[in-house]
Amino acid sequence: MKRYEVIVVGAGPSGLSAAIEAAKRGLKVIVFDENEKPGGQLFKQIHKFFGSKKHHAKIRGFKIGENLLEEANYAGVEVALNATVIGLYADKEVVVRRNDQVFHYKGDCIIIATGAAENMVTFPGWTLPGVIGAGAAQTMMNLHGIKPGKKVLMLGSGNVGLVVSFQLLQAGCEVVALVDAAPQIGGYGVHAAKLSRTGVPFYLSHTIAKAHGEDCVTGVTICEVDSQFKLIAGTEKYFDVDTICMAVGLSPMSQLLKMSGCLMEDNPKRGGQVPIIDEFGETSVPGIFAAGDVSGIEEASSAMIEGRMAGVCVAEYLGYCTHEEKNESLAELKKDLESLRQGMFAPANRGKKITKTEEGIEISDSLLKNGFVAEQEIERYPGVVHKSGIHPVIECTQNIPCNPCQDACPKGCISIGENITNLPVVEDENVCINCGMCVASCSGQAIFLVDEDCGDGSATVTIPYEFLPIPEVGEKGFGLGRNGERLCEATVVSVKSVKAFDHTNLLTMRVPKEYAMSARFYAS
Amino acid sequence: MNRIENHPILGEPQKTEKVTFCFDGQEMNGNMGEPIAMALKANGVMIHRYTQKEHKPRGIFCAIGRCTDCVMIVDGKPNVRTCVTPLKDGMVIQTQDGVMPKTEANEVERSRV
Amino acid sequence: MNTIVDRTKDIGEFIPQPDDDMLICRCEEVTKGEIRRAVHDGMWTITEIRRYLRTGMGLCQGQTCARLVKGIVARELGISMAELEPAAARSPMRPIEMKVLGNEEVTDLWQ
Repeated sequence: MKRYEVIVVGAGPSGLSAAIEAAKRGLKVIVFDENEKPGGQLFKQIHKFFGSKKHHAKIRGFKIGENLLEEANYAGVEVALNATVIGLYADKEVVVRRNDQVFHYKGDCIIIATGAAENMVTFPGWTLPGVIGAGAAQTMMNLHGIKPGKKVLMLGSGNVGLVVSFQLLQAGCEVVALVDAAPQIGGYGVHAAKLSRTGVPFYLSHTIAKAHGEDCVTGVTICEVDSQFKLIAGTEKYFDVDTICMAVGLSPMSQLLKMSGCLMEDNPKRGGQVPIIDEFGETSVPGIFAAGDVSGIEEASSAMIEGRMAGVCVAEYLGYCTHEEKNESLAELKKDLESLRQGMFAPANRGKKITKTEEGIEISDSLLKNGFVAEQEIERYPGVVHKSGIHPVIECTQNIPCNPCQDACPKGCISIGENITNLPVVEDENVCINCGMCVASCSGQAIFLVDEDCGDGSATVTIPYEFLPIPEVGEKGFGLGRNGERLCEATVVSVKSVKAFDHTNLLTMRVPKEYAMSARFYAS
Repeated sequence: MNRIENHPILGEPQKTEKVTFCFDGQEMNGNMGEPIAMALKANGVMIHRYTQKEHKPRGIFCAIGRCTDCVMIVDGKPNVRTCVTPLKDGMVIQTQDGVMPKTEANEVERSRV
Repeated sequence: MNTIVDRTKDIGEFIPQPDDDMLICRCEEVTKGEIRRAVHDGMWTITEIRRYLRTGMGLCQGQTCARLVKGIVARELGISMAELEPAAARSPMRPIEMKVLGNEEVTDLWQ
């Protein structure tokens, strides 16, 4: 039996982060992962992350994964792949399947970072080929270059449902509808808005009544539900689809912790069965730690910080750093974690109905119900201003911990302030130079550059554009509204794609000036 | 074709070695090392197996090796999770019926029972 | 979490529901109706249900259905999901062939 100072289970964002912090302090660390490749779900995340610079904001998930692997490599972390942990016994004995053999390892400390599994809901036909998890869709299109389907219906309006729907569009699939039984959208409004403007309809208070097909999915019927989530007869709607995607939440995969005798609890706020842990991830069994989604469902950004915390604690536990050094590192990490856990979507606010932003502005009702901010609502927000000449219009309407736009503007036109959940404000006195950095930096794709009046009856609107084919300059098409409806004719006047934009193309379209504040997408 | 030829963020797929494999007696092409399930999906195959009791079709569900819905008979071995098993040249892949290959003989046997 | 089950509680008669034929455990092909009936047959814990119906005992080891089964049993008993003790977690956590499980690395302690 081989002995390691630290055994980490799971090479996802939190497991790798934990291993890095421990190895950096001189510990002998091994990470076991059942998959062929490390990184957990990070390599399927092709969108830009939210947060501040410290949280890797505006960097795409897979790039964060690459950086993390590099850091782990540099720190001397040993990552064992195709190594399935099948048991965790008393006295920190880890049983691992590698190839066709079973091995036993002993760890002085164990960090469990096994992540989460997808929840599913049942409906007639849910076992048909073509009904898949949202994670499966991501795996197919973002890792293996395979389209999950031609026409897809998404169930679930949390961030996973919204982000994966957008990625389906990017992969060239059609998303016919986004459905959720809840009466309002669960994920970030900006994610919903970027789907809406491409024309994806939202059906809130709806659920799947039936998946049709004999051998595989050929269609789906959705139905409205009442406040008790009972189907309302006569409200059925049929869609011709070949794929139904489910994004209805995650549950911690905490069985290993339970097996090892850690005290567990069923905590709906954390997503289900979770270990009872202290602030930094230590379970009731001394020397066994938990980090990331396994101890409570959150974002990858917080999982990475939790991992680092566990790594630091393990180092002190085994005498590789002093109590003071540990406290110093933890204080810093704690600050980073707390800043992520703020705003409307903070874990503490789960299940609460929030009607006003921290600034006291009313939340857009239309955004929560339809997926887009209505025209009469948009003017309330501090990022939406009118000026002569080109200026940013920031349609960021919810308090989310995110601030890259503030640093992106070289002219100081955008300010968020110390509190990173503040809504961005467009500063009046500073002059926009049309560099487009803010548009490309916004992970929510909520920033536009608008010249409301070019003097010839037209206006120009610059939008973030992450689809193929990229329209040609001079091409004539249509300006779409926030709800995806065709508003007016539009001409493409420029398409900018520079390295600093990181694959977010900036498409500028000319529209009649009365559509300057409503045309937010382009379709040919 | 179900393959993404060009992706706005990820670009063009990496060039990989092409391999041929056999699915229920039919010759198909795929990329070396990609999960078997992806090669099948690219070829339009949706049904991986029929269940033991109800004889209902199943295919890819979780795509990460958890749900075991996509298991098939690979090189004679049943219950192989095709979503996490890399494709190799010359592999013989069969639709699984219960734990047997789906053959006419098994069909007859089943209908008799 | 309730570790002691109060078996004196009256949960009433089994009343058929329209979605009783909904498949819940995908691997072992167990329906909602079968699970609900099992509760009325006296299987009040997840462990009992598993042994009675084989829910969550198939290839995937309950990865997909564990939560669904728990919800159905809890509703039938009129308690919250949090009050229901989940199934025991034991090795092996993932599908593994017997010949591999039995093929342990042998360490020569005298080497």
